[in-house]
Amino acid sequence: MSSQKTQSKRSPEASAFYIAGLILLGIVVVAFVISLFWTPYAPDATDGASKFLPPSLEHPFGTDNFGRDVLSRVMSASKYTIFISAAGVAIALILGTVSGIPAGYYGGFTDRGIMLLGNSIMCFPGILLALVAVAVFGASVTNVIWALGLVFAPTFARVCRLGTMEIKELDYITHARVMGVKPVRIMTFHIFPNLVSQLLPATVIGLANMTLFESGMSYLGLGVQPPDASFGKMLSDAQAYFRVAPWLVIFPAMMLIFYILGLYFISEGMRVSLTKGGK
Amino acid sequence: MTTHIHIVKVHHLTLSFPTRKDPNPKPILNDVDFGIRDGEILGLIGNSGCGKTMTSLAIAGLLPESASITSGSIKFAGKDLLAMDPKSRRAMLGKDIGMIFQEPSTALDPLMTCGKQLEEVLTAHKDSTKTPEERRKAIIEMLETVGFTNAEEILDRYPHQLSGGQRQRVLIAGAALLNPRLLICDEPTSSLDTVTTVSILALLKDLCHKLHMTILFISHDLSAARGFCDRVMVMKDGKIIDKDTTSDILSHPKNAYTAELLTNARLDTRLLGLEPATVDYTRSPVLTAKNITAGYGDSLFARGKNRKTDNTILHEVSLEVFPNEILGLIGSSGSGKTTLIRSLLGLLPHSGKVNIRSSSVGAIFQDPVSCLNPAHTIKWHMEEALRASGKTDNSVPRKERKAKSLAKIISVLEECGLGEQHLLRHPKELSGGQRQRVAIAMCLIQEPSLIIADEPFSSLDASSSAELLKLMTDINRERSTAFLLITHNIHIVRQICPRVIVMDSGRICEEGNTTDVLTNPKSECTSSLLDAEREIHGI
Repeated sequence: MSSQKTQSKRSPEASAFYIAGLILLGIVVVAFVISLFWTPYAPDATDGASKFLPPSLEHPFGTDNFGRDVLSRVMSASKYTIFISAAGVAIALILGTVSGIPAGYYGGFTDRGIMLLGNSIMCFPGILLALVAVAVFGASVTNVIWALGLVFAPTFARVCRLGTMEIKELDYITHARVMGVKPVRIMTFHIFPNLVSQLLPATVIGLANMTLFESGMSYLGLGVQPPDASFGKMLSDAQAYFRVAPWLVIFPAMMLIFYILGLYFISEGMRVSLTKGGK
Repeated sequence: MTTHIHIVKVHHLTLSFPTRKDPNPKPILNDVDFGIRDGEILGLIGNSGCGKTMTSLAIAGLLPESASITSGSIKFAGKDLLAMDPKSRRAMLGKDIGMIFQEPSTALDPLMTCGKQLEEVLTAHKDSTKTPEERRKAIIEMLETVGFTNAEEILDRYPHQLSGGQRQRVLIAGAALLNPRLLICDEPTSSLDTVTTVSILALLKDLCHKLHMTILFISHDLSAARGFCDRVMVMKDGKIIDKDTTSDILSHPKNAYTAELLTNARLDTRLLGLEPATVDYTRSPVLTAKNITAGYGDSLFARGKNRKTDNTILHEVSLEVFPNEILGLIGSSGSGKTTLIRSLLGLLPHSGKVNIRSSSVGAIFQDPVSCLNPAHTIKWHMEEALRASGKTDNSVPRKERKAKSLAKIISVLEECGLGEQHLLRHPKELSGGQRQRVAIAMCLIQEPSLIIADEPFSSLDASSSAELLKLMTDINRERSTAFLLITHNIHIVRQICPRVIVMDSGRICEEGNTTDVLTNPKSECTSSLLDAEREIHGI
């Protein structure tokens, strides 16, 4: 009955979170989509004659110490930020589910082994581990993505493991086992779809956290390499000129805040609507 | 007469769940009008979904936020409950109105000892005049009242260390501690076995007299009202359709629906037209189990301490199920029935031999809520069952195979009383009885020669149970499928099972021809089960 499905009403609280989150996130995503085709100026084009220009009609976000247009750079920076966080979360999600569900399903030594590995990753501060990995393997976007993916995988593995442990005791899984369904099939088709509601908010929060990590690493010079831009990289470049050209800090920081706040709002909205009021 | 003063008066109450799309939906409660007399036990009986729980929640003030009362009033001891502010209403809960719910396993906090939880009840109601010692004394006294002989010990126990019946007693003690004037019992016994049910009902009746409480007893089982309730109301589709003293309702039902409920509650095979197949005991059995011993392993902690505890639950159980047979397996809770079938299904490690003469065994479980995967449609469930059985023919082209399996799925669903229109539904859009039938259909499509059913009736109302029972006997007769039926309803066993096994503390204490065992019980556990059943059903 399709009518019954559409009837599931969303609480006004959840709707408010969704709308606020989508607006904030929308600003960053629109900037990203446009930057794929067009930016007002080439993001790397330097212009010695127009250094440190304050925001004006010609340069709405001003220019930086090389005379590069900040608006163009912010737009192209959103590309790296979104790409790195999305790819990193995808890796973390895949590694997390593939290890977490069997850990929860089989229990015993499988569980202990997988969780030992995950816990030992979680023992270290995540950013430190990612920094070490990038320092060892070289600073490149691919390495940053892999490093962040590995650091975040245990979080997802824990969500999956816990959910699986709960679900596997339910009658429909026992029923499937009695019917003779193979374990791998049970995990992928019987258990996984029921974990989605728990994984979704974790994924959105993961995106936000990963963006923060990426900004931190770029700030330290281990993330995106010049002349490419990411929000963290722009902030780190701008700190020397904060007094003369505050717009160099304000605009990238604003975009970063929009992106992360937008993601947090959406995950909060999901939590409220999925848990029916979040009580 | 003072005894006829109504403590609760529900006056033409109408309640519905309006949504933005549908501001005037069909009311859940439609012009409900009744009074609860001071000191009586009033039964509220009806099938699932008839609105009996909503009525009780409305009285307690615990309605979900989306519910709206469109007309009517509820008066408690003269005060209009609907006009009161939420804060003072909440203060009434527990103190004036107590509640006991169906599921004793989830109503207690697993991380708190029972004593602590009971103390919480007292402190939450700002009973600060008492010292901790006095509170402890009051709790111990109450635990003794509800039938614990070892009250002091119970105080320090955690909920998981108690049985279902004991937990329900602790909950009753918690509700009675505040000495409420009205106690609402929402299906307090439906997850308990017959022996425990009888003792809990006796306890409630006793409390009602001792503490001068009024009880609103909600149940789907009309026969449970026998000998317990003073008056009974029958509810259907949000309306109270019959109201009378218990003896009148049970012996001379005036309303056709009440009569139907009564028939279903009795589950009388002659009236329902059930007819199980005849069994030929000379054929070789479908299932042979020899000397099964099973238990739960020691925890790592206990293993590390090198201490061997005895966790054996089953002791050398042997049984045989013959083709075409419906074998009944009865026993009180904790007797090892579920452990036995889990071992038979190969879900638990066990010693001994299980020999099943069939490619697949079907299984139906107790809980209709969790028996189907909420993420998938009914069609997916059926296809999954078909795929797992390995009975699909891989030589024919994909399209043809799909059409063939779909036709098979529909025919099996129809056999189980469902149809094509259910294919694309999700489990949450089906009722409990329908879900159990999907579970049976999933077994049937695998064409097993044996279906193991673990308490399939215990969470269904009388009408759904009757339908399910009919379906099972039909399958048994037409497909000659054997059933191993685990139940605590002896009445069902008596009528459809030619042979019965009685279990107690992990051993088979009696087995044989049903009429012999049940009319002439040789062991103590069988007679105690029979006594309990007699008391409830009055047969």
